[in-house]
Amino acid sequence: MAEATVRVPLEVYRFDGADGRPARYQKFELDLAPHTPVLTALLKLRAEVDPTLSLRYSCRSAICGSCSMQINSKSRLACETPVGPEVERHGRIVIEPMRNQPVLRDLVVDQARFWTEYQKVEPHLKLDPRHPMPEGQPNPMSPEEVDRFKETPRCIACAACFSACPAVEADAGFPGPMALAKLYRYVVDPRDRATEARLVRIQTEGLWLCLRCHLCTEACPKDVRPSERIRDLKELAIAAQGATEAGSRHAVGFKENIRRTGILNEMQLVRQTHGVTGMVREIPQGVRIWRKKPEILKRPHPIAGADEVEKIYEALDRTEPPA
Amino acid sequence: MKLAYYPGCVAQESGRELDLATRFVCRELGIELVEFPNFSCCGSGFVDEANEVLNVAINARNLSIAERAGLDVLTICSTCQGMLTLANVRLKDPRVKGRVDGALRPLGIEYRGTVTVKHLLRVLTQDIGLAALKAKVRRPLAGLRVGAFYGCHLLRPADEMGSESGEEPHAFEDLLAALGATPVYYRGRVMCCGFPIQFVKPETASRVGGRQILDAQAHGAHAMATPCPLCHLSLDAYQNRAAKAVDHPLDMPVFHLPQVVGLALGATPEQLGLARHLVSTDSALAHLAPGSQPPSAAARTG
Repeated sequence: MAEATVRVPLEVYRFDGADGRPARYQKFELDLAPHTPVLTALLKLRAEVDPTLSLRYSCRSAICGSCSMQINSKSRLACETPVGPEVERHGRIVIEPMRNQPVLRDLVVDQARFWTEYQKVEPHLKLDPRHPMPEGQPNPMSPEEVDRFKETPRCIACAACFSACPAVEADAGFPGPMALAKLYRYVVDPRDRATEARLVRIQTEGLWLCLRCHLCTEACPKDVRPSERIRDLKELAIAAQGATEAGSRHAVGFKENIRRTGILNEMQLVRQTHGVTGMVREIPQGVRIWRKKPEILKRPHPIAGADEVEKIYEALDRTEPPA
Repeated sequence: MKLAYYPGCVAQESGRELDLATRFVCRELGIELVEFPNFSCCGSGFVDEANEVLNVAINARNLSIAERAGLDVLTICSTCQGMLTLANVRLKDPRVKGRVDGALRPLGIEYRGTVTVKHLLRVLTQDIGLAALKAKVRRPLAGLRVGAFYGCHLLRPADEMGSESGEEPHAFEDLLAALGATPVYYRGRVMCCGFPIQFVKPETASRVGGRQILDAQAHGAHAMATPCPLCHLSLDAYQNRAAKAVDHPLDMPVFHLPQVVGLALGATPEQLGLARHLVSTDSALAHLAPGSQPPSAAARTG
């Protein structure tokens, strides 16, 4: 028996870079079964109502990664997002191109930055030329080694994470979640011989601009969990190189800040991250805040049982404090 | 209701107004706060970046303190909520649990994993309940349009945090409506405030925060409200930098979650520490209907 249909109001972003007209939202209404994918709705519109609607798609099965777009502001694959829950929650479905990439036409974006960032992390095994893999021989990895990067090969490069990322939006120097997740995959691959060089390089090429907002992990249709892979990279980078950048200095500085007292000393943290000259730069802002919150200059009392915290550090923390 | 009160570092330092307002609200609603002077910092996400297992261990220690007392934990910070919850999640991995137990056991500390970590937002909306809260409202926030700003770690990753939705929550807006305010829905409400990189690259951090304030402003918010004191620092204490970064004047009062609740329950601005904000909240209070003006503010203007 056919499923009952629901009325689906659609508002589709329309824009053509060539015609000089401003972007607009075109409204349609369709009667569809609630489980109908948004992509099917768009293809129906194109076939029956407006053949000029531009969009990318291919497999319709959440494998090719082509049909990412914003569906009611969430970055999603259109082929696996059903219309029913969207209409139920929002009363309509607003369909827009992915964010953080210039729109070429309608739902089609220019992905140059996304792919450039991907290429920059050199997403391939780098072997030692002096010790090439023996021809025709297997180069086995243990199940535990493979387990370390089991999520990343699921990535279909759909760019939903790139679209959802506020760091990509705010800073041209951030490589984006996918590029970093892919980099992680090669960093922990035991066959790769460039691990340390990769970690050193990424510390100055955007790793520490991740906001750890986890929006990429929500958007990812394949549960690659890029934000967690980025966290892993940060810890590996500190372990490999120490705290050399503002980001790693801040993370390690924070860790050291609470080691002995168990509580954060806000002023000391500023000094640990910025150094003395950086702290001088922060004085005007500090004075503004101090006027309203004078206790920022007070040293907080250590917690009761601070020695327990310190002993936990001794047992589990071997990374070097910042110089 | 009795809960282990985990104020977090900021509410004991630069964000003391949050602690003040929390105590007021809990007193009014009959929530007993049990205090533990041995709670440590949650690591704020930074310790997690530097050493994941260490971060789990210090929070397992925190949770063990509440467990021994037979209490669930009340947090008032999205990041504390996130880090303490993350410890519960990560401890399900036997390899992590083994290392953490190995560090805690010599100290006579055991954490069995029985503690639920609850943010004040959840306690108000689920445990107290909106109907019971509404019955306590003495000065409904009529006339005030408020943009909720959740803070990432309260919501995401949603499967680990157990949140209603990582991208489309509505608990805070429901709460605001129960207090008589008009909730403002805007995209930025679930976005990042920029705080985690405020010390790494301030211009970028401020641009991120500034965009969310602009978004709330564009949707007609008179004020924002946040359950996270780190977001509050970004949005309030650093709002001047945010304005510069987005090249647009900003004048957006930002309340802590218990401050908006406290106002509706009849608190004075002094009881909520409103004078400690860098952006004055007066313009928001001026939007309240005459009968909803907080006591001392009414005395000032009347």
